[in-house]
Amino acid sequence: MATSKEMGGLHAESHATHGSSSHLHGEPYQPVFVGARRQELDELMTRYPTKMAVLLPALWMVQEDRGWISEAAMAEVGEVLSLTPAYVKGVVTFYTMYHQHPVGKHFIQVCTTSPCNVCGAEDVVNAFLTHTKCGELGVTSEDGRFTVIEVECLGACGFATPVMINSDFIESVTPEKVPDLLSKLT
Amino acid sequence: MADVKTINLTIEGRPVAVAEGTSLLEAARTVGVLIPHYCYHPGLPVAGVCRMCLVEVEKAPKLAPACATSVAEGQVVHVHSEPAREARKGVLEMLLINHPLDCPICDQAGECELQDYTFQEGRKDSRYKEPKRFNPVEDFGGDVMYVPNRCILCTRCVRFMDDVAQDPVLNVSERGDRAYIGKFEEKDLTHPWAGNVVELCPVGALLSKDFLNKARAWELDRTASICPNCTQGCNAIIETRDNVVVRMRPRANADVNEYFLCDAGRLDYRWMNGQNRLDLPKARQGGALADADWDVALGAAAAAIRGKRTVVVASPMLSNETLHLLARLIKATGGAGAFRVATGPEAPLPGVKDLALRAERAANVAGAELMGFTKTDTPFSGLVDGDVLVIADHTVTDADLAAANRAGAVVVIGTTMPAGLSRVEAVLPITNFSEEEGTFTNLRGRVQRFLQAKAAPGLARPSWFVLSDLLASLGQATDYFVPSDVFTALASSHAEFAGLSYDTIGLRGLPVLGAAQAAGAAP
Amino acid sequence: MGYPHAPHARETLVLSKYFGDREAIGLDGWRKRGGYVALEKALGMTPADIVAIVKDSGLRGRGGAGFPTGLKWSFMKPGDGKPHYLCCNADESEPGTFKDREIMRWTPHALIEGCAIGAYAIGAETAYIYIRGEFTEPLARMEAAVREARAAGIIGPNAMGTGKRVDVWVHKGAGAYICGEETAMMNSLEGRRGNPRIKPPFPAVAGVFGQPTTINNVETLAAVPHILNNGAEWYKKFSRPDNPKSTGTKLWSVCGNVARPGNYEVVMGFPFKDFLYDLCGGPLPGRKFKAVIPGGSSVPIMNMEEAEAALMDYEGMVAKGSMLGSAGCIVIDDAQCMVKQIARLARFYAHESCAQCTQCREGTAWTTKIMERIEAGQGTVADFDTLLEIGDNMTGKTICVLSDSCAVPVVSGIQKWRHEFEAHITGKRCPFRTAAAA
Repeated sequence: MATSKEMGGLHAESHATHGSSSHLHGEPYQPVFVGARRQELDELMTRYPTKMAVLLPALWMVQEDRGWISEAAMAEVGEVLSLTPAYVKGVVTFYTMYHQHPVGKHFIQVCTTSPCNVCGAEDVVNAFLTHTKCGELGVTSEDGRFTVIEVECLGACGFATPVMINSDFIESVTPEKVPDLLSKLT
Repeated sequence: MADVKTINLTIEGRPVAVAEGTSLLEAARTVGVLIPHYCYHPGLPVAGVCRMCLVEVEKAPKLAPACATSVAEGQVVHVHSEPAREARKGVLEMLLINHPLDCPICDQAGECELQDYTFQEGRKDSRYKEPKRFNPVEDFGGDVMYVPNRCILCTRCVRFMDDVAQDPVLNVSERGDRAYIGKFEEKDLTHPWAGNVVELCPVGALLSKDFLNKARAWELDRTASICPNCTQGCNAIIETRDNVVVRMRPRANADVNEYFLCDAGRLDYRWMNGQNRLDLPKARQGGALADADWDVALGAAAAAIRGKRTVVVASPMLSNETLHLLARLIKATGGAGAFRVATGPEAPLPGVKDLALRAERAANVAGAELMGFTKTDTPFSGLVDGDVLVIADHTVTDADLAAANRAGAVVVIGTTMPAGLSRVEAVLPITNFSEEEGTFTNLRGRVQRFLQAKAAPGLARPSWFVLSDLLASLGQATDYFVPSDVFTALASSHAEFAGLSYDTIGLRGLPVLGAAQAAGAAP
Repeated sequence: MGYPHAPHARETLVLSKYFGDREAIGLDGWRKRGGYVALEKALGMTPADIVAIVKDSGLRGRGGAGFPTGLKWSFMKPGDGKPHYLCCNADESEPGTFKDREIMRWTPHALIEGCAIGAYAIGAETAYIYIRGEFTEPLARMEAAVREARAAGIIGPNAMGTGKRVDVWVHKGAGAYICGEETAMMNSLEGRRGNPRIKPPFPAVAGVFGQPTTINNVETLAAVPHILNNGAEWYKKFSRPDNPKSTGTKLWSVCGNVARPGNYEVVMGFPFKDFLYDLCGGPLPGRKFKAVIPGGSSVPIMNMEEAEAALMDYEGMVAKGSMLGSAGCIVIDDAQCMVKQIARLARFYAHESCAQCTQCREGTAWTTKIMERIEAGQGTVADFDTLLEIGDNMTGKTICVLSDSCAVPVVSGIQKWRHEFEAHITGKRCPFRTAAAA
C-alpha cells in the first residue's frame, strides 16, 4: 500500500527493490538473531518481565545490521518474540526512525521544526539537496549514497540547525558547512 | 452471591441505579438513552478513541467519554446538552473531511452508523476545502475487503482479531492522518471467525465480498433465526430480498454466541435458495411415479407404511417438532430411526466461552438424539426385508444405495430428490428450515426458536404439517394447527422439554432439563 | 551556564554546573564532584522520609506538567506486593526544549543517581530511562555510565552494598514525540505502538506492565540528589518571596532568533525581560523581538508586551497568558512570518499524532492544510472561524493533549497576529518572503 505523502516526504523511498523483499536479489533471507546478536537479545530479555518489551531494541538491532527492516525481518522478530508479523509491522510503521525500505548509504535528516526553521533550516535542507544531487526529499541519489529528509524537532534547538547522518548527530549546521560535511563521507 | 454496590445517578433527567463499575454508556442504555458511539462494542475491550460518546457530567471540568467512565454516586449526566451535541457534531465533521461521498455506491448505506448520526446530529454541509486523502481498496483475504478511504479508525476490527479471535493479524499502520488498518503482506484474514469484522465495522470500510453490491440494506427483510450449519446454534438473522436469502448475520445472545457468527456458517446460506427442489407431491400410480395432489400422495405414503415396520432416516437439520412427529411414526409402526451427520474441523472463538464452529455440521443433532434417533455412519444399514424406508430429507450417497434399496418401499419426505432409489411409493415435498418455523436443540441442550424467513417453492409444505397429515392418515390423533402446538405435544411427551413453550423460549432460547447429560459433558 | 556560552553571573548553577566539563562524565570525575553521596544517604533512609523531603522542597515535574513530585511519589502504595517501576522520561521532543540532552551527555551519573533515589523512594527495584532514538550521544553516555555504575556496585542487585536491588536500564525510543506523554511512553516501553492510554487507571495504580509506576522527567530526577544533599529549605529559597509554589532552579532552553541560544539555569521567578535581553544577549543585530513561546511549542505564544512583564515561574507565566511548560523558550524576531511558523508547528503536531482520537488525527492535519493554504496566499476570511472552531473541537476532548497543543499556537496567532494572517489573505502572498524567494 502506498503511504500517503500528505505530510511531506518524511518516509524515505528508495530506488532499491521493494515488494516481498525477503528475496532481494534472489537471495534467501538470512536471520539476524543468531550467534552474538541472539545472545545480546537474550540478555536484554532479562531486564523486562515480557518478551514484547524487547521489540523496539530488537528492531534497532535489525536496522543496525541490515540498514532497514524488511518484511522477512519483521517475521523473524515476530517469531523470536512470539508476536505476529502483523503486530510487529504495526509497531514498525508507527516509529519514524525505522526504515521500511533500503535508504541511501548516508541517511541525512534535517530538523525543520519552528525553532530551527526561524534560524534558516530550510536553507540547510536545500543545500543538502543540491550538494548530494538528490534534488528531491525522500529520494535516494542515483549513486545510492544519499537520502535527504526533513524531520521534526531533534531536541538540539539551541544548536540550530542539527542534522543526523545515519546515527551521527551533528550540531549547528549551516548551508556553508554542507559541502565540507559531505566531502568527509564515503 | 457477592454484594455488588449499587450506584445511583441521573442521566438525561432519568434516575439510574446500576452496579458499581458500569460505564456511563451502559448505564444510559438501561434507561433507554442511546449515547452515540463508534469504537465501543460490548463484545470488545474498551478503547475510548472515537470520542463520539463524550457526555457532559455536571461539576466535571471536561466532557467525559461515556464508554470509558464509570458511574459515580450522584452524578448528573447530560447526553443531549449543547456541549455534548457540539462535541459530537465536531467528531462527525472531522470523520467526514476525508470520507468519500460514496453512499450511492457503498454497501453500508442504509445500515451505516456514520450516515445515521450525521443525519441526526451532524453538519448540513462540509467546509473542508482541501484535497482528500486517498488509498486504494485492499483485499484482506477470506471474505473481507477493506476500503481505507471510508475507514474511521475505530479499531473494532483490530480489537476483535486481537482479543476475541486471539489471532492478531490486523494492525493500525502508520500514524496521524496517514493511519490505516493494515495486515502483513503474506498473511491473509483467513481465521474462521474473521468475517465478524465486517459486521463490527460501523461504516463501509470492511465489506463482505460475498455480499458486495448484492442488495441494498433497506430492501432486505430480516427474520430472527438460528444458524443451521453446525451444532453450536448461533443465533442469526436471515436476510432475504424477494424471497431469496442474500445474507446471514449474527444475532446477539449472551448465552450462545455473544455477537458473533463464524465464516463457515455465515456464508453457507445458498443451499437455502437451492433451485433443485421438490415442489410437487408425487405418488406411484400405475407403476410410475407421477405428480399428484397432496391427498393422493399422502394416501400413497400411508398405504405403503400401513402394517409395516418403518425405518426413518432423518436429517439432523430437521426441527425438534418434525423429529418428534417422525419419532411418533416410528413408535406407531415399531421401527427405528437413524441419522448421519457430516463433520469437519472444529474452530473455536477463543475469546468467548464455549463458542466454536462445531465438528458436527448440522443444527439439530442433539434434538435428533433426544427424539430417539441413533447417530451412525451407516444409517441405512438397519433395514430388514419388508421394511418401509422413510427418508426425511437425509442425504443418500451412492454407498448408501445398496442398503437403502433393500427396503420394500420408500417414502421420500424432503426438499430434494435423492437419486438411485428404487421402489419409491410417494414423494412429499417439504420446506427447508428457512421456510418454516420450529426449534433446534444445540449441543449444550439449548432449545432455540427459528422463524420463517421466506416462502417455500411450489406446493411444498412445512415438514411438521406434512407429518401431522401422514400420522392422521395412519390413524394417529394429531390436532396441530401451528408449530407451537407440535412443540407443546413434544414437551409433554419428553421429560427433558417439560415446562418449555414457545412463549418461554422466546428468541433467546432455554436449556432443556439435564442439558449437560443430554449433550455430553460441557467443557 | 548559558551553555554553550560562558556562565552568566545571574545564573544559579546547580544542574548545569558541569555542562561542558568532560571530566564530569565518567564515574571517577563525578565522584570527585560529590556524586553518589546523596544515594548513599538515601539508601540508609526510609522511602517515606525521602518522599517527605522531596514533597517539602516543592519540586515540581520539569517535563512540562509541573505536578508536585513528592505528591506523585506518594501515590505509590508501599507493601502492596506488586513490582513497582520508575520510568525516567528522556524522550525530550517538545520543540524548543533541549535541556535533558545536556544533563545526560555531561552529567549522566547525575541522572542515574536521581533515578536510583527515586526508584528506592517509590519502592521500585527497576528504573527504565526511556531516551529518544535520535539522542545518539546521550544514549551512548548513559549506557556507558550505567555500565560503570553497575560495575562499581552502585546500582544493581546489591546497591552500594546495602543488599537492596536498584536496577537502572536505558531503553531507546524510535522517533515519536508522543512517546513523551507518560502513558504513551509506558506503551512504547512495553513494545507497543506509542498510544496514550485512557485514565483511569492511573500509572501509580496500573502502569507499565500493568504494575504501579511513576514517571518523572530527567531534570526532575537530576534535582533530587541536590535536594537530599542540601535540604528542602535550601531548594525553597530559590523562589519569589511572594510565590512559594514555584521553587528551585530551572533550566531554560533558549533558541531561535536570539544572540546567545543555549541552556540557562535561573531561579524560579526570574524576570523574563532581563533574561531575554541581558542573559541571552537580546535580538540579533538589526532585529527586534516579535514573539516568544516560553515553554515549548505547546504553550500560548506571548507577544513582547506580555513577555517583558512576565516572571519565570509556573504562576508568573500563567499570569501573563502562557505557561512555563518545559521552559523550551523559542524566540521569534520581526523577520519571521508568524503564519509560516504556526503552519510549521501545526505540521509538527500532525506528523506526530498517534491517530487514536478523531479530533487529533483529522484536526491536526486539517489545521495544517488550512494554515499552509493561507501561507501560500490562498486563504479566505472564512478560514479564521474554521480554524478557531476546529481548535475548539480539538481542545479538552481527547485522550491526551497533543490535540489541544496543536490548537494553541493557532489561537495565539489569530488573537495577537491577526494582521499577519490578513496580509496573507488580502495580499494573496506571504509578505515576509523576499522578492528572490517568492
